[in-house]
Amino acid sequence: MSNWPSETKYISQSTTRLDGPAKATGRARYSSDIQAEGWLYGMILRSKWPAAKILSVNLDKALKVPGIKAAVVVKDGEFNVRFYGEEIAAVAGTSKQACLDALQAIEVQAEPRHEFVVSEDEARKDNSPQVWDGTPNAPAPRVRETGNVDGAFPECAAVIEGFYTTPVQIHNPMETHGNTVSWTDDGVTAWASTQGITSVRDGLAGALKLDHDHVRVITDFMGGGFGAKFGAGVEGVLAAKLSQQAKAPVRLMLTRFDQALAVGNRPSSFQKIKMGCLADGTLHAFEMDAYGTAGIGAGGDSGGGGGGANIPAPYLYKVPNSRVKQTSVAVNAGSSRAFRAPGNPPASFGMESAMDDLAVKLGMDPVEFRLKNDPSEIRQREYKVGAEKFGWKDKYQKPGSSPGVVKTGVGCAGAAWPAGGANKRTQGEAQINSDGTIEFRLGVQDIGTGTKTVIAVVAAEILGLTPDQITVHVGDTRYPPGPGSGGSTTCASISPTVYDICTKALEQLQTQSGIADARGKNWHAACKKLGVTPLTVHGQWQPGMSADHACGVQFAEVDVDTETGLVTVKKVVGVHDCGLIIDKLTLESQINGGIIMGMGYALYEERVMDDLSGVVLNPNFETYKMPGIADVPEIEVILINMPERGVIGIGEPATVPIAGAIANAIANAIGVRVASLPITPAKVLAALGKLPAPATT
Amino acid sequence: MKAFAYATAHSTDSARELAADRGAYLAGGNDLLGLLKEYLISADTLVNIKSLPGLDKIQRGDKAWTFGALVTVAEIEHNQEIAKTFPGLHDAASEIASPQIRNVATVGGNLAQHSRCWYFRHRDTVCLKKHGDLCYARAGENRYHSLFTGNDCISPVVSSLATTFAALDATAIVLRDGKETPMSMADLYQKAWTEVTAHNSLNPGDLIVRVEVPTARSRSAYLQVSDKHTFDWALVSCAAAANVVDGKLSQPRVALGSISPMPHQVQAANDFLDGKTLDDATIAQATDLILKGAQPQEHNAYKVPMAQALIRRTLLKLKG
Repeated sequence: MSNWPSETKYISQSTTRLDGPAKATGRARYSSDIQAEGWLYGMILRSKWPAAKILSVNLDKALKVPGIKAAVVVKDGEFNVRFYGEEIAAVAGTSKQACLDALQAIEVQAEPRHEFVVSEDEARKDNSPQVWDGTPNAPAPRVRETGNVDGAFPECAAVIEGFYTTPVQIHNPMETHGNTVSWTDDGVTAWASTQGITSVRDGLAGALKLDHDHVRVITDFMGGGFGAKFGAGVEGVLAAKLSQQAKAPVRLMLTRFDQALAVGNRPSSFQKIKMGCLADGTLHAFEMDAYGTAGIGAGGDSGGGGGGANIPAPYLYKVPNSRVKQTSVAVNAGSSRAFRAPGNPPASFGMESAMDDLAVKLGMDPVEFRLKNDPSEIRQREYKVGAEKFGWKDKYQKPGSSPGVVKTGVGCAGAAWPAGGANKRTQGEAQINSDGTIEFRLGVQDIGTGTKTVIAVVAAEILGLTPDQITVHVGDTRYPPGPGSGGSTTCASISPTVYDICTKALEQLQTQSGIADARGKNWHAACKKLGVTPLTVHGQWQPGMSADHACGVQFAEVDVDTETGLVTVKKVVGVHDCGLIIDKLTLESQINGGIIMGMGYALYEERVMDDLSGVVLNPNFETYKMPGIADVPEIEVILINMPERGVIGIGEPATVPIAGAIANAIANAIGVRVASLPITPAKVLAALGKLPAPATT
Repeated sequence: MKAFAYATAHSTDSARELAADRGAYLAGGNDLLGLLKEYLISADTLVNIKSLPGLDKIQRGDKAWTFGALVTVAEIEHNQEIAKTFPGLHDAASEIASPQIRNVATVGGNLAQHSRCWYFRHRDTVCLKKHGDLCYARAGENRYHSLFTGNDCISPVVSSLATTFAALDATAIVLRDGKETPMSMADLYQKAWTEVTAHNSLNPGDLIVRVEVPTARSRSAYLQVSDKHTFDWALVSCAAAANVVDGKLSQPRVALGSISPMPHQVQAANDFLDGKTLDDATIAQATDLILKGAQPQEHNAYKVPMAQALIRRTLLKLKG
């Protein structure tokens, strides 16, 4: 169906990242490295209260701190803050220390509200303090029902019930959120650490009441976003206001402390699941009652894109009789935001745990059970390939039957990313110079995924050049508009666009030069004929060259020390498809990264809040734990290339199934289910029944 | 952080003088800078002690080895002679934080570090240790806290070196009021056991100058369990030291970390193990003695079975 060439030199092969050397040597300038002339540091004063009415904010003393050039309040007049860490004011000055001193000098008059709630279970109670006055924290659940659930359970040969929970996961990309903003009479320039230069431009223009053409956003290099960096954020608007007041550029990058509070997060989930199947293993009845918190931003669901607390259920599977009740619980904590495959990792963990529990109850091999029930032909194929490669048949044993103190277990789980696809309005241009150089300009941004390299690979393939002959410019709103880098859509948006630019460029170059085939060895001769005026070609996304719905399955093998509770992941096999593979190397990196990120979700990461004070107790990498290199196992990535489908993104599905696979491997090792993420030594020991009764006082 | 003066001391006398009442000694700075940056402490003067002569030396003696307070954790980790003579100390050092931190972290600093309780470390909670009215951890998130305490604060000592030094019966030499004051590990943390605001028994101006580790015990071992495989605090740690003659222990000492404000040692258990051959029953009895009276909080009861496992494994490792 697609126009993609069937014989390729670069597409579907491995090309090293074009900007690898620049990144490895530190030559690459990220938003947090920008040093615009006369720039100032910016910093934010955050609420010390989980809930309070701010009566007044006096900046006079802060402005008198030596080195301070500007100070602004988030809102004029009285306003409410609803979580610990909500923004109150900001300062800009010539040093970090000046800003820190100024923050201490700001005088805030506030009426703290002593009634607040940070725990989901407390917030659901009738007498709970209300996060939003007059609105219940948990609205009545939304109910979706198909078939006859109550009639179906008695027909089942096996039924399980479980309560599967996942914590709030904090956004911690390598580069924190932030911008350097310069506001002059000519308009605003923002060097933004963003996934969407266009959305930041429009957001800043709206917030600052400027025309769109007076805001320019630049993102040369950025260190990860994972869904939380599409807007300028409160911090971006504050940086702009500080810049206007100080008449100087302001760099306002958040700290790890800030990240833990106010840049969005993955909502928690508490999933009560009852599920049954017929004697042949066919899923027959499913019931879920679930809630989770999106912080103060409860209510709005997405189940797929926006980062709300609702999750897709029964996820990958079709169950004829199903009842799903879900609600979102407001608490006094920072609001959620899209987080790599929003809704999917918690859904996968709950559902895939339940799948294994039911398979065990029925006495069926978990892979067989999935082959019986998974409606996706692609995943069916992937399970077979993966099981073979992983050695599933040899490794899978009856739960808890592994001998000794350190027990080995295996598990698997599947992924879907039903969103995805492409931004169909993606555009770009290329300029061909008479010396044979070619420059691409696309208003997309490379968030670390290899977007620039993808552009070069596609261009080199079509033009018969090598990737290093292609110059790529992205990350500037002065270039033709590109997609936001989210939803695993970037690769599918830009690849057909670059293809279109290249085919048009070739046509024109051939016409202008009179050389019938300007590709490869004829390229330079053809370009030379252009003379002093370079050739510029505009192109856009074309249908029929990209698709959506990537799948994937992952297998995990773990060791569990049944005396200390320590889990060691020994091996992971990931089998993934994303249509036509563009660059194998950056694709494998995406999958490795997704697996490692999901391992953090499975074993280490958890926002911990204190009921009494309302603060986040682990706003740092000391106690907000993430996988280090010693925690990362051997990862084997198996790619299923499907050129006939066209290009599909991979970012999100890569991280979806690993938590379920690891949790299932742990359950297989020790013979009992740890139904709560992260699976810490403490929880393993508890599940094994090794805890003494708590002391009574 | 608040402004401070900076001075470099070239003798212990001048260090004491420069620090005066409101100064702080700066060696590796891992703990000190964190405390200053979070406004948890302030100091008029940071006294750089890294130039104090001789304090970065390890001296081998027949009866004891002397570790200067400025010896780095990395040096203990990489010194092959230490690995042979005090394997427990070597193993403890190599589990501390990350290579980067171990390269600058010092023996003195590791012993003198403050509580890692996340309420104490949080800039906006005023807990008992910060002269507040309340131990938030008792009613709150206490997964990393103590099983034993002699006061209302339940934050544990986290120095892995202290745990191991305790098992080796080492003595810290503390310069106090111009005099060298020997302190056992129990002495060094006694005040943290009794006083809510104390992290150790050091008074303002006290300076740990060296640690003397007896060679009386030819075997030692150290094990810890953390949530992660490296670069993470111990949930529980255990050190043991003894001589083993014909399979029998002599002069055995066991100490645990991260479960008490001081290295947790039980004399009755050490006495019980003396002269014993290590079999399952003996180990179980010793373990019961060591953990007797443990008071788990709501979220840290897992530390009891974890400690049981570590005691057994450390003793078995000792046996070889």
